[in-house]
Amino acid sequence: MRPRTPQIVALGGGGFSMEKEGSLLDEYVLSLTDATRPRVCFLPTASGDADHYVVRFYRRFSPSCDASHLSLFRRDQGTGGVEDDFATHLLAQDLIYVGGGNVVSMLGAWRAHGLDAILRKAWRRGVILCGPSAGSLCWFAEALSAFHGAPRSIKGLGLLPYSNCVHYDAEPARREEYHRFVGDGMRPGFAAEDGVALHFRHTRLAAAVSSRPDGRAFRVKPARDGVVETPLHVDYLGAGPAVPVPPTQSAEAAACARNDVASESISQEPVAA
Amino acid sequence: MSPAAAVDVEERRIFAMGGGGFTMEPNNPLLDDFVLGLSPVKEPHVLFLPTASGDTTAQINAFRSRFADRTCVPEHVSLFRLQDTKRPLAEIVLDADIIYVGGGSMRNLLAIWRAHGLDRLLVEAWKAGTVLAGLSAGAMCWFQGGVTRSSGPPEPISGLGLLDGSLTVHADGEPERLPVWLAAVRDGTLPGGWALDDGVGLLFAGRRLERVVSSRPGAGAQRVDAIAGELVRHRLEPELLEGQSHGALGGIDEAVEELRRVHRMRRGMTGGRG
Repeated sequence: MRPRTPQIVALGGGGFSMEKEGSLLDEYVLSLTDATRPRVCFLPTASGDADHYVVRFYRRFSPSCDASHLSLFRRDQGTGGVEDDFATHLLAQDLIYVGGGNVVSMLGAWRAHGLDAILRKAWRRGVILCGPSAGSLCWFAEALSAFHGAPRSIKGLGLLPYSNCVHYDAEPARREEYHRFVGDGMRPGFAAEDGVALHFRHTRLAAAVSSRPDGRAFRVKPARDGVVETPLHVDYLGAGPAVPVPPTQSAEAAACARNDVASESISQEPVAA
Repeated sequence: MSPAAAVDVEERRIFAMGGGGFTMEPNNPLLDDFVLGLSPVKEPHVLFLPTASGDTTAQINAFRSRFADRTCVPEHVSLFRLQDTKRPLAEIVLDADIIYVGGGSMRNLLAIWRAHGLDRLLVEAWKAGTVLAGLSAGAMCWFQGGVTRSSGPPEPISGLGLLDGSLTVHADGEPERLPVWLAAVRDGTLPGGWALDDGVGLLFAGRRLERVVSSRPGAGAQRVDAIAGELVRHRLEPELLEGQSHGALGGIDEAVEELRRVHRMRRGMTGGRG
């Protein structure tokens, strides 16, 4: 097998679990795989392996994919999911889809089962990693968790050496909080609104895409006074003929065409905050 | 939050069930009523932690329906749905008079507690006199170790170590667990400890075993230690709890009883020294 590029698609919110029209972001992620019938494994850990979430995953992915899920609860009872060798199963996937929920609970459970190391290996081998919300935050070195009580910084798996903030448009306070944290020493990073996905190749941002015409994403860096928030170019996936289709070439070509690829080169009007 | 005042060691209470209570005995409230009686508070705040199950609605609903009509204030905290909870965890835990831990995956339970710092809060609560109770994973977690099926086949696992020794649960209901525990005790992987049938609970005052109680006639417990590489087994006779107004042991319990007798005969488990 030829070497595949490590890729992560971090959703600020959206996808099958959160949007009625979630298929646009999910289609985009699927288009990044080389497979005609991709192998997709769902990790619902952050929801406590909620049954309804697993059902919705299969409803969405089983028609076009070899879909499976991995449950870290109720393994003694047989869950219909992956039972034996996690590592072998996950490394054989085209896409690992991480569901939303509580990121702290999820990372704790992952570590207890050695999933953190397996996911890192899968990423290096080119298994695409994606997910909304907790399924986005987990890939970054740091993340703003506002799930419960006062917002706080949490440590993710660190595959992407940035910070991350999701649901950027969901509450007015979210943006202020993220700015405050980055201003106070949280590492620079990316914020995405619901319906917006950040696509990373290796550790560089390749594209930002949206299932909503007005979806936005930002790069946030510390500045002398507070932070600089730079809007990213976001491609609306609903416009035009189709999501990037020819699979092998698509990611790179589409990304180049739309964004000048590297995160460093994304420069539009800086917004001081 | 400042640490709550510590109570005398003997006033620290842990009640560990091999199985039973509202999730496993919907028609038998004896163990749950016993738990309520452990708090000196007349109308205790009972905090349910369904973490080990992944916070399933089924467990939470069973808890609510068992305790809703009893003299107590039932609450639960879901670590997967903390957004529904406005108060800080520390405050919720330290306000509880009884903390009741449900069954499920012990490995996930401890990992998730640690990720949220809940393990430390529970130790603090115990020292402050909060009653800690639980079944299965929620019972073994208080000991030095237990036997979990978190990854499928039963295997030894470490616990929080508030209580000395190890515990294995469902000795009658899940017969594949016991031999793994006995082997682990024999080879020193786990310290000696207790094996409990479903329906049996151990009550500790501090680290001292004070009572062995049961919600079902015939359910048993044993203490097992490895002495010079040999297992020494003592059978314990639980006190059968008596119901108040609720004690309706229906036909279902007779069926369970019969099954249990069959299990015991098959295993040739006669108690005594083995």
